[in-house]
Amino acid sequence: MAVSKTISHPFLLLLVLIAHTVMLLLVALSFGFTTEVLKIGCYILTADLVGSIVLQFVHRESCTVDTVMLLVMGMSTIYQSCFGGLQFALRHFLFGIGAFIMCQISYLLVRNPYRAEKLKPLWYICFFLLVGAIFALTGSRGIWIDLGFITLQPSEFVKPVFVLIAASSISTQLHKKTLWGIHFVPDNLMLILCTVVIAGLQWYCRDLGSLPTFVAVAGCGMLLRFYYLREKMSFRLIVFLAVCAVGAGIAAWNLAPAYVQERLHTNIWADMSGSGYQQVKALVAIAEGGWFGKGAGNGTLHNVAASNTDIVFSSICEEWGLFTGMMTVILVLFLPMSMLAVPPRSYYHSGLAIGVAAVIMVQMTLNIFGSCNLIPFTGVTLPFISQGGSSMLSCGILAGFLKAAQAPVLTQKKKAAA
Amino acid sequence: MAELDISAPRSMRRAGVFATLLLIGFIGAFIYLGFTLVEESPEYMTRSGAASYGVVYDRSGDVLFDGTKALSSYPSGHFADIGNVIGDTSGQMKNTLVARNMEELANYSFMYGKGSGKTSLKTTLSHAANTAVYKAFGKKNGTAIAYNWKTGEVLVCVSKPSVDPAAGYANIDKLAEGSLLCKAFLPTVPGSTQKVSTLLAAYETMGVDAVNKTEYNCTGSWLNASGQRINCHESKGHGKQTLQKAFENSCNPYFAQLVQSDKLPLSRIIETYTRMGYSVNGAAADTLEMNGIRISAASTTLKDAKDFDTQWGCLGQGTTLVSPFQLMLWEGAIANQSGIAVMPNMLSEKTDVSGAVTLLPTPGKTGQMFTAEAAAAANAVMTENVKKNYSALVKYKCGVKSGTAQITDGGKEYENSLLAGFSADDRCPVAFCILIEQYKKGEVTTAQIAKTMLDKIAALK
Repeated sequence: MAVSKTISHPFLLLLVLIAHTVMLLLVALSFGFTTEVLKIGCYILTADLVGSIVLQFVHRESCTVDTVMLLVMGMSTIYQSCFGGLQFALRHFLFGIGAFIMCQISYLLVRNPYRAEKLKPLWYICFFLLVGAIFALTGSRGIWIDLGFITLQPSEFVKPVFVLIAASSISTQLHKKTLWGIHFVPDNLMLILCTVVIAGLQWYCRDLGSLPTFVAVAGCGMLLRFYYLREKMSFRLIVFLAVCAVGAGIAAWNLAPAYVQERLHTNIWADMSGSGYQQVKALVAIAEGGWFGKGAGNGTLHNVAASNTDIVFSSICEEWGLFTGMMTVILVLFLPMSMLAVPPRSYYHSGLAIGVAAVIMVQMTLNIFGSCNLIPFTGVTLPFISQGGSSMLSCGILAGFLKAAQAPVLTQKKKAAA
Repeated sequence: MAELDISAPRSMRRAGVFATLLLIGFIGAFIYLGFTLVEESPEYMTRSGAASYGVVYDRSGDVLFDGTKALSSYPSGHFADIGNVIGDTSGQMKNTLVARNMEELANYSFMYGKGSGKTSLKTTLSHAANTAVYKAFGKKNGTAIAYNWKTGEVLVCVSKPSVDPAAGYANIDKLAEGSLLCKAFLPTVPGSTQKVSTLLAAYETMGVDAVNKTEYNCTGSWLNASGQRINCHESKGHGKQTLQKAFENSCNPYFAQLVQSDKLPLSRIIETYTRMGYSVNGAAADTLEMNGIRISAASTTLKDAKDFDTQWGCLGQGTTLVSPFQLMLWEGAIANQSGIAVMPNMLSEKTDVSGAVTLLPTPGKTGQMFTAEAAAAANAVMTENVKKNYSALVKYKCGVKSGTAQITDGGKEYENSLLAGFSADDRCPVAFCILIEQYKKGEVTTAQIAKTMLDKIAALK
């Protein structure tokens, strides 16, 4: 059982408490022991304790994901509360709690692979409803739905649904049909169809930022399907797929619309006050922060648009230093890495876990490397760190999938005797 | 409820493999990002204008640029002689020592942050010599550059008109044309200083003795094989002359006849010129660089040895262009009589933000530009020229070649006076090039400026 590989829960809780306390002390070093600092401390440490108590009752097997979530959510709340001055990021904190709750809900929903696979038609319905909502409700080709009291980004919620669609069970893969002499698996066709639909929608919305994420999830899902029963990995197939991927990449690069081409070829240093403004400011902020930062609240990047979302990595580096920034990213990486420490125990959950890993890592790549000018800047969020309710809740759902992969319920209702 | 095993271990392991590959890819790229950020952070600071800067010193510790305080706090005119050579961080001048070494001069490091460091650059220049040469130009404009042909240290680099960075750029529109450029690095018509290059090509092709014995007649005007006239500055002509005499007289007909001679095929001239770094007939040539400062390669057009334009080009007129820097470089290779020059260098030491001093490496040598035999022979001819015609420079064991460049600029015609040469004196082993723009008789001469310069350099400790 995976339990034997996990570290004891109280010890992990202690680590979380120590990490948050140290960070709060560093905040206090910058601002003094003000009411606001104490308020942040109370909220975060209480959340740690309450979250841990709740976990005792929900499930004890999979504390890795939950603990990392608790740790990261607290850290990101402290970061978000300090950017450019001290003000408790209550909204971010609440969305963090929401993400934690969503994690537990999605865990309960998919921990049983049989049931989750049976619910696949529901995932398809959710997918097409979300896509329809984006298509019908968003104005000016935007991808936001303004409900007045809250602004939702439905494309964020498409991600966990798409991961559910990309995951598949062996029984589903064995369920083949024949049409005009061609054998095919309907589930695989649906995955391709959904990928085409989401790509088309993003093209229509003129926001291709998340497309690599969806393509990565679909790619991982398809790869896992290609190999699900083969004795050996076919070298020729790997080469063929790699060539296809490279070809598709080159085609996409060359056929991308003008506004994408502009981003692909932007020289940020030649247009420091225009299209390169955010990235130049982000890079300078990292440079000014150095290894150990200017100190919490002493940054200036908060004056730049999207400083707490698209270029949040630079904001963290400016105030806390590159070392802390990199450690934070590695900490978030612990979530997908947990599937290596505690491997999924069903084929279906393997698909879920690799899908979640793809979403998290591709989004981190797009966010961090984009803001640092190593790849085109697409403006996606940094999972669990960036401010934004939709992104946070979506990440919570994805974390629940990982948790389900580590602590599944591998039982099936017996068919009634004849 | 019954527990069923629905696992497919091999497939699930493969999911782990995919995840591992994703992780390795991400972590690899992330490490690369970390290195890139640390490595390039000084560039981010300088390019964005967010950095503060240190101090640039001359060889004896005199300040040539100060990024730690206002330049206006220095005595008036302190930076005037090196304004367009050393430059500043304002961005008004792009090809200056400071502008090309902003990252080195940035008072910033990833570890220590900005503004608190001790960054400085020590140059090889002598501010005292520079100021003396600058003043020696008087009201004339032009440029002078000199470097130690043994060590590569650039000691003097003046370009007039200059700009005083301490005065700022509020009146930039009123600055004299060329104030923001160092002319030592820009190509100019070399005049008869080009005859040295042609002589080197002849020595390489025909042999030293054959060239030295070659005699041609000068009647003041010579008709070439194409029926075109090459005139001499001495309208009465120089009569029959040997190479040495023609060199001292800077006789155009003599050198034009040499270029047209079957004994000196044009292809061999082109070959030598190309080795020396010329872009001949549009061929690619390497741009020279000194501490990041870029110097345009010499260029000329040589199509037909019997044609006026080609002969005129070999005499340093027409389309031939050479920077004073490159003329000086060739003089360095003649001075050491090897045909290989030590590359000029303007930076000697760097103090980083933490105060650690690093001696900067010397940039090495050029390739074999011409043969040692040709270099030694040219050295002898130039030294003899000084003995006969430049008494003021004899005490410094100089060898020189003068030149008069005929310039047509916007319909206006004038002459520039040049002097390229070297000193073999141990007190001042320098190669140099001096250019006076729009020279008129009776004004300060290039030789007088050369003497001032050598006097100052010889007095250096």
